[in-house]
Amino acid sequence: MSKKMGKVVLSCLALGLVATACSSNGGSKSKEGETVTITHYTIDSPDRTFVEKLIPDFEASHPGIKIKVTKAPYEQFDSKLQSSIAAKNAPDVTSHWGYGGFMEYYNKGMLMDMTPYLNGLTGADYNIPEDVMNIYKVDGKTYGIPLNSYVTVMLYNKDLFDKAKLEYPPTDYEDKSWTFDKMVDYAKKMTVDSKNLAEAQYGVDFGFGERDQRPQYFGANVYSDDTWTNGGKPSEINLSKPEVIEAYKKVYGLIWDQKVSPTPAFSKSVSGQFGDPFLSGKIGMSVVGSWSLAASSDFNFKIGVAAVPQGPNEKVRSVLYVDPLFILKDSKHPKEALEWIKYLITTEVQEKSIELSGGNPPVNQKAAEKYYGNFEGIDPEQIKQVFEGAYKYGFESYNHLISNYSQINELFINELAVVENGDKKVEEVLPSIEEKLKALLERVNK
Amino acid sequence: MSEVVLAQQLPPKRKKAKVELAQIVGFLILLLVTVAMIMPLLFMLSTSLKSTKEMLVFPPSMIPADFAWGNFKELFVNEEIKFGQQYMNSLIVAIMTVIGTVFSSSFVAFGFARYRARGSQFLFVLVLSTLMLPYPAIMIPQFLLFTKLGLHDSLLPLILPSFFASAYMIFLLKQFFSTLPNELYDAGRIDGCREIRLYWSLTLPLSGPVISTVAIFSFIWSWNDLLAPVLYLDSQENFTLPIGMAAMLSSKFRIAPWNLMMAASLLSVLPIVVLFAIAQRRFVQGIVLTGIK
Repeated sequence: MSKKMGKVVLSCLALGLVATACSSNGGSKSKEGETVTITHYTIDSPDRTFVEKLIPDFEASHPGIKIKVTKAPYEQFDSKLQSSIAAKNAPDVTSHWGYGGFMEYYNKGMLMDMTPYLNGLTGADYNIPEDVMNIYKVDGKTYGIPLNSYVTVMLYNKDLFDKAKLEYPPTDYEDKSWTFDKMVDYAKKMTVDSKNLAEAQYGVDFGFGERDQRPQYFGANVYSDDTWTNGGKPSEINLSKPEVIEAYKKVYGLIWDQKVSPTPAFSKSVSGQFGDPFLSGKIGMSVVGSWSLAASSDFNFKIGVAAVPQGPNEKVRSVLYVDPLFILKDSKHPKEALEWIKYLITTEVQEKSIELSGGNPPVNQKAAEKYYGNFEGIDPEQIKQVFEGAYKYGFESYNHLISNYSQINELFINELAVVENGDKKVEEVLPSIEEKLKALLERVNK
Repeated sequence: MSEVVLAQQLPPKRKKAKVELAQIVGFLILLLVTVAMIMPLLFMLSTSLKSTKEMLVFPPSMIPADFAWGNFKELFVNEEIKFGQQYMNSLIVAIMTVIGTVFSSSFVAFGFARYRARGSQFLFVLVLSTLMLPYPAIMIPQFLLFTKLGLHDSLLPLILPSFFASAYMIFLLKQFFSTLPNELYDAGRIDGCREIRLYWSLTLPLSGPVISTVAIFSFIWSWNDLLAPVLYLDSQENFTLPIGMAAMLSSKFRIAPWNLMMAASLLSVLPIVVLFAIAQRRFVQGIVLTGIK
């Protein structure tokens, strides 16, 4: 190699290192006098990173506190958080925005007990119902303050309803004529079960909670009742109980017996691996998390919102997804971190956040009034009625309440895939899931 | 007699090229495979030029009704995406990684290939055994190390490891260096070359194909790496392309912007296509010589 070439290479090397150093922050922490920096760790998506726009206002009203937002893509959220904690570089404030849930964080000892810093703070101070505040309390100690509350709703395609000459479903949860069986009847009238993707359309996509929570809608419980009082560790698994088997038969019967729900193959064909087939306009009704409402203005068809129909369980018809903010155990500035959290749940900021986030539902009920009027083409009163009914008949999502939920959920997804694909019957698969789940729980809950 | 001579002098009759049925079938199969291979790319291009509304239409159209060229502009002007900055960061990391990997790995490989010492074979096996360690196994200790060095949230933790050689590349280069004849080195020594000169002026210039291969591999791996950048980078100004593109699909609350994602994917494969086009001949030689692709 010539001397000239050698010089070129060395120059490149030097230039590159300079460029790298220039683009680096050097990991420095901004500390000016008494100023404290709070790190807010979130998913790198606009409906979460919008908090950056609130920082100037917060810092102006809270001299001495600076906020730094760090972020990661959804899929890598948990691994980055775990590494940061292991390296004693944990953020101060975050939520369970990855695969893990509250109980997983709690049982791993990641969360700080906020109680000593609350100084008599109650839900009423921020228009948050007390039962919602209590979701993140364990043994009377507060580990999380609610920020957003999503519910399960039914979205329906008005165009398909009009075409089938069907009445729109009601928004009132007290209208007991709107039942699961009626939903199936409606779905049959809208279904075109064809192998030709262009012609095929289905009446309902029943996405009530995660797979292990679905039997709850039918009055059956996969986990023993002590799960909700002992830190999310079920002592018994009920997958072999007749009522659970029957519940799963009803869920998957929609695909393979009644043929009114799309197969996984159809869903993937029309919407990709993780997409929502409802967006394709080929699904009449979709029982889904209320986050799908945020994209309603982009749909190519008219949509309506309705109550989840009355099922066999008179108490539970909706899954609640209340996202809290936690202070992590290693935080050196819990008081200042709490100030930031309190700022985020004030009525004014929650109202502002609806617009900035593109439609995140506020937990502050005063701000919620503004949220209900946020969706083009849908009557705010109808959304309000659906949300209020969902709160009344709601049960918190299992992924927030059960320890080591990401592993449990993965087990259900993998093992039930053969049922969803029509290769095996529910009765054939549930015993093996029960066995594997027991082994998993024994291992992780030691 | 004269007729015979004349006949011999006439140019030979051109035989009609016979196209056999097998050739036609083979050609058709190749054509089908080509179409099948190129379809995802065409679909990517098509989606990158669709508006959000059109992107959701089913069945999807191959040719967009209105060409949304603005999607490409959107990537660069949208402050929330910062695509240009991420592209630059990825380029810096990938180029520096190539330089680091090529020089450090070739230096170590030169030692293993040209010198025999007690235990050198054992050391080589020891180096190779690090191939068995998956990245997650060293992730946390390495993260702790770089955090303690104050390099967290900078591009350096992504670049510096490449300056400490890679076992896989050492193996690749050592196999090639071993094939260079000893006589060349003897001649070099007779001409007064010192050992470092034998590496720099003799080995490297003769190893174009394998160095191209190593360069392309390390560029692609660095360009596509997601996990390490996610761990080390906190600020959006420092993000690399894979993080930015993964973030586009982060929101479960909104429709994924597949049109922007496809536009970003098209732009992100450009450097690899250009690099491959430049180094193609040598790269193929490298595959032939090392038997690895």
